[in-house]
Amino acid sequence: AIAQGTQVPLGGFKTDPSAPIQVTADKLQVNQADGTALFSGNVIVGQGKMRLSADKVHVTYAKPVDGQKGKIQTLEATGGVTLVTSPTEAAQAKTAVYTLQSGTVVMTGSVLLTQGQNVLSGQKLVVNLPSGMGTMEGRVTTTLQPNAAPKAPPSKAKTP
Amino acid sequence: MAARDNVHSRLVAWLKILLPLAALGMLSTLFLFSHSIDPTKAIRYSKVDVKKLAREPQVTAPDYAGVTQDGTAVTVSAAVAKPMTKAETPDPARPGASASGIRARFERKDGATTTVEAPQGQLDPNRQEIKLGGGVRIDTSDGYRIRARALTGALDRTHLQSAGAVTATGPLGRIEAGGMVISAEAPPAPAKSAADVGAAPGPYVLVFNGGVKLIYTPPGKGN
Repeated sequence: AIAQGTQVPLGGFKTDPSAPIQVTADKLQVNQADGTALFSGNVIVGQGKMRLSADKVHVTYAKPVDGQKGKIQTLEATGGVTLVTSPTEAAQAKTAVYTLQSGTVVMTGSVLLTQGQNVLSGQKLVVNLPSGMGTMEGRVTTTLQPNAAPKAPPSKAKTP
Repeated sequence: MAARDNVHSRLVAWLKILLPLAALGMLSTLFLFSHSIDPTKAIRYSKVDVKKLAREPQVTAPDYAGVTQDGTAVTVSAAVAKPMTKAETPDPARPGASASGIRARFERKDGATTTVEAPQGQLDPNRQEIKLGGGVRIDTSDGYRIRARALTGALDRTHLQSAGAVTATGPLGRIEAGGMVISAEAPPAPAKSAADVGAAPGPYVLVFNGGVKLIYTPPGKGN
C-alpha cells in the first residue's frame, strides 16, 4: 500500500547535505570498539539553517579506510527532539534519524509540526532536506487557524 | 800561495756568517708558516658541568614498564629523569621522579594503542600515576590526535584524564572539549577472581566532557 501521507512544503527551507555539520553537546563518548559515538546533554546538531536539538544523539560512522577521513552515516536523536527548519517552523517528535547519504530526517513518535499558526500532528514525518519537502504519515490531523492564514483569501465556508 | 789560501779563508769567514743566518731563517719559518695551533681547541671536551652532574643524581633515558589490572601494557620512557626534590614529593619516603621529554605508550590486549608525548612530567609511585605537563600530544590507534595542556595517566589501570581544554581531530572531524578521559569501562560482569580482572577488560572508551563542539565536513560529492 502506498504510504498515503500529507505532502507538506516546509517553507523556504533547503539544506545543502554537504554543508559542514556542527554538533555541540555536554559530553561525547566514543566507543572505539564498534566505531560509534554518543553525544549526550542538550545536543544541538546544526547544518546550514537546520537545527536539530535532542537529549542524546547516537552517531554511527564508517571507520576511516587507510587514513581517508571517516564518514558519518547516521545521526539518531532521541529524547525530546525538535527540528527547527525556519524561525516560524519546527517539528517535534520522540526520535529522529538523519541519514546523511540520502539527506532525509525521519521523525517518529507523536510528531508535531508547527508552521506559523498551523499545527500538523501524525505518527511519522519524513523530511527531505535538499528539497525541503516533508511527508507526514499516520493519523494526520491538522488544525488550521482560519483567521490567521494571511495567504489564504477569506473563504466563505468557515471551517469549524 | 797566500792569495789562494786567502780566498778560502775569506769564503769560510763569509760562510760562518751566512750559514747560521740561513739556519735561523729556516728555523723561524717553522713557526711563521705553520697553521695556527690554538692550544685551547686542541682537544675536544664536553661542556657539562661535572660538579653539577656529581651533585644532582639523574638517570638518562630511563625506561618504565608495567601492566595495568585490565591487561594494558604500559611503557614510559623519558630523556632525563631526576628524583623529585623533598619539596615536590608528597611522600618523602618514596620520592617520585620528575622527567623531561616523556613518551608513554599504553597497549591494550585488543591491540588498540595510545601514545602520549609531553615535554615534562612527574612519575608518582605512591598513587601509581604520571602527571604530564607543558602541552601533551595524545594519539590513539584509531585515528584521534588529541592536544591537551596537561594530563594525568594512571599506571595501574587504564585511565588517562586531561586537565583543561583539549582539541582533537579524528574520524569524526575536529573536536573541541572542556576535558578528555580515556578509560576502560568496568567489565559488565563483576570480576570474580583476580584472574578475571585481567581477562575481560571493558570496551575502550574515549570521553570528551565539559562542553563538546564537533565540526564535521562531509566528504565532497566525489566519494
